[in-house]
Amino acid sequence: MANIAAQRIKREFKEVIKSEEVAKCAIKVELVNDNYTELKGEIAGPPETPYEGGTFVLEIKVPETYPFNPPKVRFITKIWHPNISSVTGAICLDILKDQWAAAMTLRTVLLSLQALLAAAEPDDPQDAVVAKQFKENQDMFRQTARHWTFVYAGGPHKNSDFELKIRRLTDMGIEDHQARVALSSYNWDLERATEQLFS
Amino acid sequence: MAEGWTQNVRCRYYANGICRKGEACRYLHQGQAASSVGTSLRTDPLETRCRYYQRGSCAYGHRCNFVHAAEVSTSSTNNANHSTGLASSSTARKNSSNNANRNGQGTSWKTSVLKKQGDSADSGIGEDSAENWVNAPEFVPAGKYNIPKTAERVPPKSYAEVLNPMAGKMISLPQAHLSSPSNKKKLCPFQEAGECKYGSQCVYIHGDTCDLCGHACLHPQDKEQRKKHVNECIKQHEQDMELSFAVARSKDKTCGVCFEVVMEKSPREQRFGILPNCNHCFCLSCIRKWRQAKQFENKIIRACPECRVTSDFVCPSMYWVDTKEEKEKLIKDYKGALSVKDCKYFRSGRGKCPFGNKCFYLHAYPDGTKADVGPPLRQRRHNADGDIDVLQQIILWDFLDERENRWLYSIDELEDLVAFLSDSDDSDWSDYDFFFD
Repeated sequence: MANIAAQRIKREFKEVIKSEEVAKCAIKVELVNDNYTELKGEIAGPPETPYEGGTFVLEIKVPETYPFNPPKVRFITKIWHPNISSVTGAICLDILKDQWAAAMTLRTVLLSLQALLAAAEPDDPQDAVVAKQFKENQDMFRQTARHWTFVYAGGPHKNSDFELKIRRLTDMGIEDHQARVALSSYNWDLERATEQLFS
Repeated sequence: MAEGWTQNVRCRYYANGICRKGEACRYLHQGQAASSVGTSLRTDPLETRCRYYQRGSCAYGHRCNFVHAAEVSTSSTNNANHSTGLASSSTARKNSSNNANRNGQGTSWKTSVLKKQGDSADSGIGEDSAENWVNAPEFVPAGKYNIPKTAERVPPKSYAEVLNPMAGKMISLPQAHLSSPSNKKKLCPFQEAGECKYGSQCVYIHGDTCDLCGHACLHPQDKEQRKKHVNECIKQHEQDMELSFAVARSKDKTCGVCFEVVMEKSPREQRFGILPNCNHCFCLSCIRKWRQAKQFENKIIRACPECRVTSDFVCPSMYWVDTKEEKEKLIKDYKGALSVKDCKYFRSGRGKCPFGNKCFYLHAYPDGTKADVGPPLRQRRHNADGDIDVLQQIILWDFLDERENRWLYSIDELEDLVAFLSDSDDSDWSDYDFFFD
């Protein structure tokens, strides 16, 4: 790895550890390997959003050309968000692509992602299904996102109605996550979800 | 003086002008006891004359045990001269060697010219270098303060004179008696540089110590010289202060890209890349690398990585600039420095520069006349209908960084000539190296 990248990540790592956001448990960075090429990030779901109370784990891969190229970041924790793929965790965020700037850091990236959770950009979606729901049925979106946060990110809000519908599908032999995706995609319409799963 | 037979033997050292024992010498210093000369084996000047010297060159130079012609011819007068004290002058000494040359005898030793330290700037090159070794910085004690070039230039001193100022008297021609009053005014360069080992015996004047530079370079009488020196010292002091401030404000600055303290990077990388339109700090190598990134749009890489304010170029600098004035001066100097460099596209008229009159570099023909190349070219291309599309104007800045970098490698030989905002009256652009990188 290019020296500059490793050196910088080292410095940034120290910076993040000392930062006040870490003190407030808003963000966290951990090393995955010793050569600073891969890290594990964590962000707390921002308050007053469906993600509140959840902890979202991120995979951060630092390219050799860092900081002249952005780090490759994706969500490990499954999340329901217009700009994040519910399947792969890929993120659609300009600063991680063409709007990157060399002065940005792991800390600013994590804070930007946190901000992204609070302010989705449905017009520039990563997950078209979620974006459509976000635009057409804001309330349904919020409930779904909150449910996903509860299930995958340790959020506090249990939704018994959704649990029940998933149970119905899993009883039919559908895998838990697959059932949740199908139901989420069809605004928790059990009939349509079943139809899609068995067609 | 010591007693004994040695008193009648001529002192060889004295004969050659370099007896360190002086009055205390146990051997005869010729001329002191004229009556006893006859007892020496080699009393006749003609007999003791160096034959090699007479033929043109004596390998022993002034260390020769035999008398060299010029010394013989003047020895009697010199003795008288010596007894009168410190009247000798180096001008006279110079005259003597000139005369010797004219007589076709040639000087016996190589005249190692000792100039004052302040003159070292214009020496050390070409033919002078061999003779100027005495003046090499390693040999001149202390003192980074340059002595004004024009003021009280002391005539060149020979190596022998450096060893012993008395030596000059031994060979001086009768002119030596006419000790010219102008020499009285010269300050001793050794005293100026540190300490003159001849103390009060020195033929030069030992000046008063300057409070600012701590060197004895204030002439006791010459008010003009004193004033001039003090002014020089103040100017130097101000420059030093400016430099200290520059270092102080630069030393903690970290680069916004590599996050390292710029002044703690490797010496080659201790350069700041100043963006004209914002005040964010980067090291030159990082900001240039960013601006050359191919994977982003022009708009992104032309922008400051911190604040995204677009800047058209990066100005290299040895030190961080805080104020608007400093920055303006830096950029002005930078552009000034580029404007005397030949444009690599224009190639003195043989090529065409796409940046036209927006180019920072010099567009001049070989005879020196500047060319008016007009506005930058526009890129054209034929579209499908056969019309000509005028594409966006080529922007100089798109190329500038790259060009600067290319140039960077060609000036590697100037690497060590790094100066800080060196005197603006200095026309040598090599001092501006740091601007280019």
